[in-house]
Amino acid sequence: MVASNKIHSFIILIIIWQALAVVVNVDTLPAPLEVMYSMHYHIFEDELLHHLGITLLRVLIAFAIAMVVGVFFGILMGNYKKIDAQLDFFIILGLNIPALVTIILCYIWFGLTDFSAILAVILNKVPAVVVTVREGAKAINVKYMQIAKVYKISSYDTLTKIYLPQIYPYIMASARTGLSLIWKIVLVVELLGRSSGMGFQLSMFFQFFDITSILAYSFAFIFVVLLIESFILAPLEKRATRWRENA
Amino acid sequence: MLNIDVTSKFYNDKEILKNLHINIHEGDFISFVGPSGCGKTTLLGLVSRLDEDYSGKITLDNQAIDFEIGYMFQDSRLLPWLTVRQNLLLVLKDKSKEHLVEELLKEVELEEYMNSYIKELSGGMQRRVALCRAFINQSKIILLDEPFVSLDFPSAQELRALFMKFYKNYRPIVILVTHNLTEAISMSNKILFFGSKPTKVVLTYNNEKDFSSNLYDEEIQNIKKEILSKYPSILSGDVS
Repeated sequence: MVASNKIHSFIILIIIWQALAVVVNVDTLPAPLEVMYSMHYHIFEDELLHHLGITLLRVLIAFAIAMVVGVFFGILMGNYKKIDAQLDFFIILGLNIPALVTIILCYIWFGLTDFSAILAVILNKVPAVVVTVREGAKAINVKYMQIAKVYKISSYDTLTKIYLPQIYPYIMASARTGLSLIWKIVLVVELLGRSSGMGFQLSMFFQFFDITSILAYSFAFIFVVLLIESFILAPLEKRATRWRENA
Repeated sequence: MLNIDVTSKFYNDKEILKNLHINIHEGDFISFVGPSGCGKTTLLGLVSRLDEDYSGKITLDNQAIDFEIGYMFQDSRLLPWLTVRQNLLLVLKDKSKEHLVEELLKEVELEEYMNSYIKELSGGMQRRVALCRAFINQSKIILLDEPFVSLDFPSAQELRALFMKFYKNYRPIVILVTHNLTEAISMSNKILFFGSKPTKVVLTYNNEKDFSSNLYDEEIQNIKKEILSKYPSILSGDVS
């Protein structure tokens, strides 16, 4: 049902786009079919897949590290008021520094390398994960933790079977918003200081005013994001919240 | 023997327990009865180690506090993201005794719900699972914090009967905190009446007869009347 809705929306978009392209009829708005051809060319005769792969790798590394670090500090700050008070300033700072500033600073301080690029992305993402997971850690139900204590449940079981399931929805929420944010930042990072990846390619096309290629790349990119969302994140979330459904 | 020896226990700067000594013998089923806020549940918290912030000592057979405990709360307190079976396995100490899960569930007629999530069970069924959890390790001490409240009468009655059945299998020490005097008389062989400020045992009643939680027994009403006529304000913690 939801999938068919998405397909409907997509078809409507294509129709409007095609109509606009015909009416306006300028070089800066290529028709959908032209973009399709361009995409075909870039995939099979050029390096789209190569750049997409590189971007994807950067996204995954940054995402994984940002989630681990964010969840760790989120739980820590949610549980210990002193640590929370101490680190809260950095979180507010991190949330409010423009992504561009962190990116530029990382490039200047650590050089135009993949390390700086990924570090900049992580620095941008971690505060948001911390804030969400911290909420989750604060919402932990003491009553369930009492079960762990009364029945002397091992620390490992307490963590994996009593504690984490309670903040899992928060982790999932930050993972979903996190992935979309990281995609966006990685492209900017690539545009500013890397010579590979989707962002770099887009900046090249921009210099040549190659709108068709820009759109072709964008669609390939959107397609991959949708795949990840539908085949990785959504099933993961569904599995984790199964116990709530049948009531 | 369970030795409860609390010199003092503060809660929000107020000393709520002071010089309280209670000895409970093997196989004793004790009820704590008293007015709200007299510290019964606090005391249960100390025995269960949920609260370790007090001065005093609680020992079982002179061993410091390292014994297994079964605890039934006012709510079933099962973990909703685990199935019935996983909930029981989580607290099972001897992992070689997994068969106990099925056996216990059979006794409470819930074996077909073994792989269900908690939400699929009614309130009464959830309490029965909590009952299995309390007994799965054959703990020497079972603590009950009003586990029969907020159930309809037949469900509560059924749960009490099941509890007595499990209890009689090996007769652990049981402490039942309750406001319900009828329930206390019908289940326990000793009733401690508490008074507050500071919390102390104002009366100990030894119950000779085994009613096996049959609340309909007329004799229970007689015992209740007898206690209440002798000590009219006992339920508000006053013996005068």
